[in-house]
Amino acid sequence: MATSPGHGGEILLDGVVHAFRRHGHTLRVLDGLSLAIGKGEFVSLVGPSGCGKTTALDLMSGLLPLQRGSLLIAGAPPLAGRRDTARMFARDALLPWRTAYGNIDFAVATRQPDAQRRDTLIRSLLADVGLAGFEQAYPRQLSQGMRQRVALARTFSLESAHIFLDEPFGALDAQTKLLLQDQLLKLWERVHSTVVLVSHDLAEAVALSDRVIVMSARPGRIIADVPITLPRPRSASKMQAMREFHELCAQLWRELERAVEPVS
Amino acid sequence: MTPPPDVTDPSDSDTERNEALRHRTMVFAGRIVLLLVTAGGWEALARLDLIPAAFIGQPSVFLPMMVEELLGGSILHAIADTLSATLAAFVLGGVLALLTALVLHTWPLLKAVVDPYLNAMNALPRVALVPLFIIWFGLGALSKIVSGISLMYFILLYNTIAGAQSVDPDHVLLARSLGLTQRHIFLHIVVPTAAPAIFAGLRLGLVYTLLGVVTAELIAGGKGLGSLISYYSNTFNANGVFAVLLVLVILADLLSGLMTRIEHHLTRWKG
Repeated sequence: MATSPGHGGEILLDGVVHAFRRHGHTLRVLDGLSLAIGKGEFVSLVGPSGCGKTTALDLMSGLLPLQRGSLLIAGAPPLAGRRDTARMFARDALLPWRTAYGNIDFAVATRQPDAQRRDTLIRSLLADVGLAGFEQAYPRQLSQGMRQRVALARTFSLESAHIFLDEPFGALDAQTKLLLQDQLLKLWERVHSTVVLVSHDLAEAVALSDRVIVMSARPGRIIADVPITLPRPRSASKMQAMREFHELCAQLWRELERAVEPVS
Repeated sequence: MTPPPDVTDPSDSDTERNEALRHRTMVFAGRIVLLLVTAGGWEALARLDLIPAAFIGQPSVFLPMMVEELLGGSILHAIADTLSATLAAFVLGGVLALLTALVLHTWPLLKAVVDPYLNAMNALPRVALVPLFIIWFGLGALSKIVSGISLMYFILLYNTIAGAQSVDPDHVLLARSLGLTQRHIFLHIVVPTAAPAIFAGLRLGLVYTLLGVVTAELIAGGKGLGSLISYYSNTFNANGVFAVLLVLVILADLLSGLMTRIEHHLTRWKG
C-alpha cells in the first residue's frame, strides 16, 4: 500500500509563536512555526530537548491556548475534546483504579454511547496489541510495555482522524519499542488517520513516518523537512536490516547536529 | 478468557506461611494476656480496696451488666437512638463535605479565599459549641446530628482536599483531551485518586461522628448512650458508666471494621 498524501493541509500551522512565563522571565519556545500536514500523512517532529515539540503538540490538541499565529485542524481551530482528535501521552496515563478494559472504555465512552459496540471495539483492539486475556488486569499488574500498549489501544479506540503522539515509546527498552512501533504501524495502516508524532528517537521517526520535521534548539523553528520514501506497509523490526533506512537515519543525524549547534 | 497472571503475587513457601501463622498466633495470644492482666489487675485493685470500687467499678460487675443490658434490651433503644443520629450525621456531613470539595476544586480562587476561615472553624472545639447547638436546634435529635456533622464535615473535607492534591497531571490532561467537563474530571479522576484518603476520612469520620453525637447526648440528655452515661455518672454508678463505655467501644470498633471492609473492596486496584 503506497501512501501519497495529498498536500492540501489537513493540519496547518502558520507563524505559530508560543512563550511561557516562568519566574518573571519570558521563555519563547516556538518562534514562527509554519507547517502543512496532509490528510493521512504520518509526520514526526524531532529536535533537541526543550525545542517546543511537545508544546506544538499541546497546541494542536487544544490543551494550550494559541498565543500568536494561526493553527487549523481540518479547517477549524484546535479544541481539547474535539471528537476528531486523539492524544497519547509520554507516560501511559492509565487510571490505576480501572482495568485495561476499563481504561479503554473510559475513553471510548466519550465517543460511543452504545455499550455493545464499545465492547466489541475494546476487545478487538486489545487483541490487536497482543493483550487478549488481559481485559481485567489492573495497570499495576502489567509491565511498562503492556501498559503503553493499553494506552495505544485507547488512543486508536477513539477512531479519530487526527492522532497526536507525544514520545509514546520513550520509556521502553529497545526490544519492546520495536514491538510497539510495529503494533502502531499495524493499527495506523488500517485507518490511515493523520498522525503527528513527537520523538527523541530518530530511528523511530524514520521507521514510522512519511516525513520527518527537524526542529532547532529553543526557540523552535523548522530547519529540515525530510521525506521518508521507504515503502509501506512497513515493519520497524524488519527495517533494521535495510540499508536505505540507516542512510536516512544518518542524514537526519547530521540535520539534528545542526539543530543542536545552529550554524551562524 | 484466561485470567491475567498476577505478577506481584509472591509464591510463599510452606515455611514462610508457617512463620506468618505463628507470628499471628503470638500477637493474638499476647493481646488476650494483656487484656486478662489488665482486667485482673483492675478487679484486684477494686477487691483489695486499693481504690474504692465506687470510683473505678469492677470488671466482674460491669461485664455481666453489659451482657445483661445487651440481651435484656434496655440499652438497645439507646444504641438505636445513638446509631441513627450517628448515621444521619455521617451521611449528611459526608455529602456536604464532598460537595464542598467539588465546589472548592472547581473554583480554586474561592478555595484560596475561604481557606483561612475553614481552618479557623476546624480549630474550634466542637464540644464547646454543643450548648449553642442545643439552643439553636432544641434538645431533640437535630442538635446531636448537627454536633456529629460538625466533626464529620471537616474531617472528610480536609482528607478529600489532601487526597485530591495527588492527582496525576497526566490524568487531567487525558481527561481534557477527551473533552470531559470539570464535574466529570472531579468524579472520574479526582475522587478515585483521593479514594484512599477519602476512605481514611470516612473511617475516622464515622468514629468521630459517634463521639460528637455522644457528646451532645451527654450534655442534652435524651435517650442515647451519652445520656445513659450521664445518668449513671450522676448516680455514682461507675459500673454502669463502664458498661456503656464498653458498648461504645465495641460499636466504634464494629463501625470502623465495616468501613475497612468496604474500603478494601472499593480500592482493590491498589492490590
